Amino acid sequence: MERLLTLENVNVSYVNKDKKVYAVKNAGFSINKGDSLGVVGESGSGKSTLAMALLRLHDESRTEITGKALFEGKNLLELTQEEMNALRWKDISVVFQKAMNSLSPVHRISEQVEDIYRVHEPHASKKEIEERMIYLLKLVNLPERVYRLYPHEMSGGMLQRTAIAVSLLHSPKLIIFDEATTALDVVTQGQILEEVVQMEQEISMTRIMITHDMSVVAASCNKVAVMYAGEFMEIGYVKDIFKNPMHPYTKGLLNSFPSLKGENETLHAIPGFLPDLSKPEPGCVFASRCPQASERCRREKPACQELKDGRQIACWLYQGGETHE
Amino acid sequence: MKRFIFRRVLTGILTIIIVFALNFVIIKMAPGDPITTLMGKENSSPEMRQALEEKYGLDKPLPLQFFSYLKTAATGDLGISIIYNRPVSEMISEKVGATVLLGLTSAILAAVIGTFMGIVAARREGGAFDAVSSGVSYAFNSMPAFWLGLMLIILFSSMLGWFPSFGMTDTRAGFTGAAYVLDVLKHMFLPVLTLTLVLLPQYFRIAKSSVLQTKNEEFIMTFKATGMSKKKIFNKYIFRNAILPTITIFGISMAYLITGVTLIEIVFAWPGMGRLVMTAITQRDYPTLMGIYLIMSISVAVVMLIVDIVYALLDPRIRYE
Repeated sequence: MERLLTLENVNVSYVNKDKKVYAVKNAGFSINKGDSLGVVGESGSGKSTLAMALLRLHDESRTEITGKALFEGKNLLELTQEEMNALRWKDISVVFQKAMNSLSPVHRISEQVEDIYRVHEPHASKKEIEERMIYLLKLVNLPERVYRLYPHEMSGGMLQRTAIAVSLLHSPKLIIFDEATTALDVVTQGQILEEVVQMEQEISMTRIMITHDMSVVAASCNKVAVMYAGEFMEIGYVKDIFKNPMHPYTKGLLNSFPSLKGENETLHAIPGFLPDLSKPEPGCVFASRCPQASERCRREKPACQELKDGRQIACWLYQGGETHE
Repeated sequence: MKRFIFRRVLTGILTIIIVFALNFVIIKMAPGDPITTLMGKENSSPEMRQALEEKYGLDKPLPLQFFSYLKTAATGDLGISIIYNRPVSEMISEKVGATVLLGLTSAILAAVIGTFMGIVAARREGGAFDAVSSGVSYAFNSMPAFWLGLMLIILFSSMLGWFPSFGMTDTRAGFTGAAYVLDVLKHMFLPVLTLTLVLLPQYFRIAKSSVLQTKNEEFIMTFKATGMSKKKIFNKYIFRNAILPTITIFGISMAYLITGVTLIEIVFAWPGMGRLVMTAITQRDYPTLMGIYLIMSISVAVVMLIVDIVYALLDPRIRYE
């Protein structure tokens, strides 16, 4: 398997005058070509911040990004904006959450697609672009006529499908779905996820799926990374983690959404709130809400380490590769 | 789009007819009637009254009177001024050009300069230009137009002597051709400056806040993520979306401008409709007043119509209500 993206020690912090708030701390994971990685966590856990950092879309005067994000050998975090622009959409594209606002309301889809396409292919003809877009529209089950519409003439589901089609214009190596299905109703969400998974069998695609919804990950990803308060708690294959969650936070997340199969169970919310990121505590970030936290958890931060099945976990319960359960 | 324009024109015509009717009813409701005036104080002959009423068509039922008024007005006949004893339409057409020249020039200058300044300020929010122009625009926004006009006369006419303080032309010089145009421009300068300075702040603020808001829209993030150049994003996508509120303001400010111009015309002795309005009001010259109101409401309706059509051209969401 070929590596596409490797993150090492990525830190993202928002800087405001002399104050500094960590949004992402020590992020590290890797994605192979063809992978689909779900990044889950509750609101404010830093998932979207991480995605924006990879795309370098933050206001650079107010954000500090350190570490390495190697994309095919190039460190995304050290490229200039010009070098980044050469890479954007051609190699990495993104689908945003608010489909309703993800395209300009006063321009036709065709006009915007032409402009976007010509960023990398300045001499492409209208016809060529139209053919490409119509092929992609078919891929996401939309009729040709969508190409001539204005965004307000479409439903949320149609718009999100259009946004996905637009993201595929240059067949990027990596697509980031930033809460791309969150704003849709469950039925449409389900359909779109199914289409995306199907599409990936037709065209080779690597995907990062940012979501707060475990079921989205279950339906559309092969790997999952659980994030809490800007740090990764547990990373591994979906099949392993959903069957046998090890980190107390992952367990909490899996307990807080209903399973479609099996018997009715009581859902458990995780008590408490995210910690204040502007005042970092010395220990594990989840310690204050963790049912299994010990004195050590509050004092020292556990390092992320790899277990036998390839999963990475940051928890004192599993230090030394031993499982305590 | 054609359907939209058609419907919009129809509502415009309807608005004018309603204004027409209101004008008519208000005058009818006002105390006194022209027949008594015409007959003189000491005359109460019912035969004469009847004859006069028949002559002016005032014996007919009110709706009929209204329609005959509508009919004659449609041919451009707005009646005869009681004070000047001249056709109202003639008097208005003599003055309307000067008012339109003053009002439209200021409106367009204020819209263009204010919007441009707003965009520049928004591009470098918090910068020196933004700070200075925001402050200055607040100052001018809070000044009464007539007072500003007087101050400008003191500064530029009395003290510096750069520009004439009153009138539209130098009547004694009798300029023709290019010299005449130059003379009018010189006379226009101060009143146009006054109106522009007073109107400009709202365009500045609307343009600035609307650019700032558009900059933070999700779709701008999409375009950034595509690697599109900042220039292209700004010139095409931010500009087109941010310009919409300015157009709305342009339409709304036209109504203000018409009253504002009246006052400024008096300050600068500009030979426009301002003086006509003033005398018509103080001397109860009803036909003239009605004629002026009619012209004003028609011009506001026409400007609104144009603004709406331009808006619909720029924003596809408007075309379908």
